[in-house]
Amino acid sequence: MLAARTALVDQEVRARWTTMPQGIALAAVGGYGRAELFPCSDIDLLILIPNDSVQSAIKEPLSLLLRDLWDQGLRISQSVHTPQDCNRIDNTNAELSVSLLDRRFLAGDEALFRQIKDPRAELGKDIARLTKERHLEYQNTIYHLEPNVKDAPGGLRDVQVLRWFAKLGAGDEHSPPDTEVLFEIRCFLHYLAGRDDNRFTFERQDEVTKLIGAESVEDLMRRYYRAVRGIARLANRRLDRFEAKGSSLFSQFRDKTSRLSNSDFSMVRGEVFLRGSHAIEKDPGLVMRLFEFLATHGVTAAWDTLDRLEHGRETFGEWARKQPTLLKPFRAALGKPHAAQALRILHECRLLEEIFPELLDMEALVIRDFYHRYTVDEHTMVAITAVLNLRTMAGDPFAELAAETQDLDLLAIALLFHDAGKGSPGEGHVGASVRVAGPALRRAGISDRAWGIVHFLIDAHLELSAAISGRDLSDPEVLRSMAERVGTVERLKLLTLLTWADISAVNPTAMTPWRRQSLWKLYLQLNSALTRELSARIAPPETEGTPEMRAFLAGLPPRYLRIHSQAEREEHLRLNGERGEKGIAASLVRTEIWTLNVVADDRPFLFASAAAAISSFGFNILKAEAFSNAQGKVIDTFAFADEHRSLDLNPDEVPNVVRTVIRAVRGEISMEQLMQRRPKVRPDARILASARVGFNNDASPASTLIELLTQDRPGLLCDIATVISKSGGNIEVVLVDTEAKKAIDVFYVTKAGAKLTDVEAGELVSDLRKVAIPE
Amino acid sequence: MKKIEAIIQPFKLEEVKEALKNIGIDGMTISEVRGHGRQKGHKEVYRGQEYNVDLLPKVRFDLVVANERLEEVVDAITTAARTGKIGDGKIFVYEVAEAIRIRNGDRGDSAV
Repeated sequence: MLAARTALVDQEVRARWTTMPQGIALAAVGGYGRAELFPCSDIDLLILIPNDSVQSAIKEPLSLLLRDLWDQGLRISQSVHTPQDCNRIDNTNAELSVSLLDRRFLAGDEALFRQIKDPRAELGKDIARLTKERHLEYQNTIYHLEPNVKDAPGGLRDVQVLRWFAKLGAGDEHSPPDTEVLFEIRCFLHYLAGRDDNRFTFERQDEVTKLIGAESVEDLMRRYYRAVRGIARLANRRLDRFEAKGSSLFSQFRDKTSRLSNSDFSMVRGEVFLRGSHAIEKDPGLVMRLFEFLATHGVTAAWDTLDRLEHGRETFGEWARKQPTLLKPFRAALGKPHAAQALRILHECRLLEEIFPELLDMEALVIRDFYHRYTVDEHTMVAITAVLNLRTMAGDPFAELAAETQDLDLLAIALLFHDAGKGSPGEGHVGASVRVAGPALRRAGISDRAWGIVHFLIDAHLELSAAISGRDLSDPEVLRSMAERVGTVERLKLLTLLTWADISAVNPTAMTPWRRQSLWKLYLQLNSALTRELSARIAPPETEGTPEMRAFLAGLPPRYLRIHSQAEREEHLRLNGERGEKGIAASLVRTEIWTLNVVADDRPFLFASAAAAISSFGFNILKAEAFSNAQGKVIDTFAFADEHRSLDLNPDEVPNVVRTVIRAVRGEISMEQLMQRRPKVRPDARILASARVGFNNDASPASTLIELLTQDRPGLLCDIATVISKSGGNIEVVLVDTEAKKAIDVFYVTKAGAKLTDVEAGELVSDLRKVAIPE
Repeated sequence: MKKIEAIIQPFKLEEVKEALKNIGIDGMTISEVRGHGRQKGHKEVYRGQEYNVDLLPKVRFDLVVANERLEEVVDAITTAARTGKIGDGKIFVYEVAEAIRIRNGDRGDSAV
């Protein structure tokens, strides 16, 4: 139809050209030159003159010709140039040079027309620049809810970009993607608007669905996004390749990356290729290794690799859905620096949806909403990218939260499913998302602990933003009940980050300074409410286990119940029974990491000496907590990393560690002796710049709160605890968290059963600063 | 005609909108603003350091009504936005010289 329309216009134009003087030529350029005239497209004409002196002679007949064509209802866009103008390539006439790539002789002096030379390959640079600028205007994503079918990434303009690159010799053998649906939509848009309007608005989507005879708007839009996805991928690849060719920096990177080749993958020209034919069909697990490889090194997958991923998709899917521990490599990859980019590749090849077919319902799903700009799957990807990339940003409070947060991979998984229920009709999407995520993640082998976190995050994902605009946050009761719902500071950090990412991914301006500040303020308020709660004491209900268990739990803070599973509580109770005359019992338990449990009668330097004993083995303490119950028994837990796997490789060493801890706590080995062999750590100026120690006498009714943030080092915890104990302070509650080389510690301290005075607390803080923050 | 500018607590947004709707006021402009009056900011202690939250998030309603509806609208906003605590907000009333509907050129009360 477009070609037929072009032929008709050709006839009209040629018929009127006969009135023009000899020695000049008429050419069609742009869309008209390609013989792709949409109903309301401009008709781009190039009038070629031998030299500028002819301009005045053709002025009169040309204006008559153009007026005549306008009167025919044709929207003419004309330019007059000499062949010399046309053959010049510089920044000032890039658009003319590009339009000449589609030139077609119409009438007049053909020899003059032939003087236009084929543009040199350098024009590709201009095309790449113009294309990148255009993509940026659309946030570099194809998944706009109301896309522009011509200019948005993957739109018809990108189809032309591919053709131009091919003409410049920078294309490759791959056939042009399926573009039929785009041509159809654009035609209807022109008919409906009566002008060159290419915005595919909600209203137009309804109208075009009927005109095209699609089953539903959702179906039409899925067809649209699938077509556009193929085009965009091809266009971006061509742009990357073109730019890479000229970049010496890239060649250096490329040379470096070739060393990354291994038995699975070979790196050629900076791109990953799969080794061996039918590699995925023979070994579907290769896809997960590729995911981790891409996530680790930040390299791109070669076109051939993407092709093979798509071909091996079903084999991989069948395999993946039968793997009971698939989540392990999946989570490992999410922890790598380029995970967001790698996850997007999995999504683009629809492999993510093979692992979790439950996500298919939200693929290219359009939910009409005034604020949302992207489809549900793209919103999800933008949110995950935002949160994973926070790790590399510095100086932003939300980035700091991300840097301190363990389980960022679980946050990414929660985000992956947070809107998955939007595809289920007829119910609120939050509950539906939880119901979709549960079986999917269970099948992939999520642990109970991890599911607890993911379930909570999906279930609560709207609650902070709802609280910002709908709840009176100056009311302590509102904050208390929200804090209770959130449970722990760790969950609060994850939920805050999820809310930040969810709002940020609505549209590029959704995270206004107002919302950002409101969210941060709410985080501070809830953090403070949760910290305050540590001095609360629980009275276990009658239904809670045996009478012995109830007596043991009485007086512990609510956090103890929230963070310790039933099995852990039973282990602590068992140790309590084993204390015997020594007044202490300890055990080492291996889960994802090692945990040392100590239950003991309270005594000076208890926490400090246990910490020293662990550090003396070279173990790195990641998390430590100390609580005491109503019977005055202290429960200390230390989670630590055994980086050299010495305990895994020498299980006989486990009783020795436990024995050393008990001897250290009983004072049979001195702490100085234990700390002699600890390794030295070089000071990190970036962390130390934000290091601080402070106290708060208002946060708790019975204790002084000491908060500390500094660079972590072996033995730090022991040094801090020793300073507190030496000052006569009694450590009531401790929360110690270590992340990204930072130690974030909270101590609840009393002296003779009461809070410290402000003077005492000030002196203690000053002493702590000396050991915690090196000069 | 009068222009009413009301600055209220964010969590009262829906209640105020509903109250205005109930008395037949549908046209309004709502913005997210930050500032402080007598409430000032406050300090949160975070990791041993005081953290200033000096500009507090608020929501601003702007609407123009006919003179005779002024008291009724002000009453509706005040009742809906009041908690009795510091920080409930303020209402300012201005004279409006003219209102014009761009679509058809209507002027005066019929344009608001």
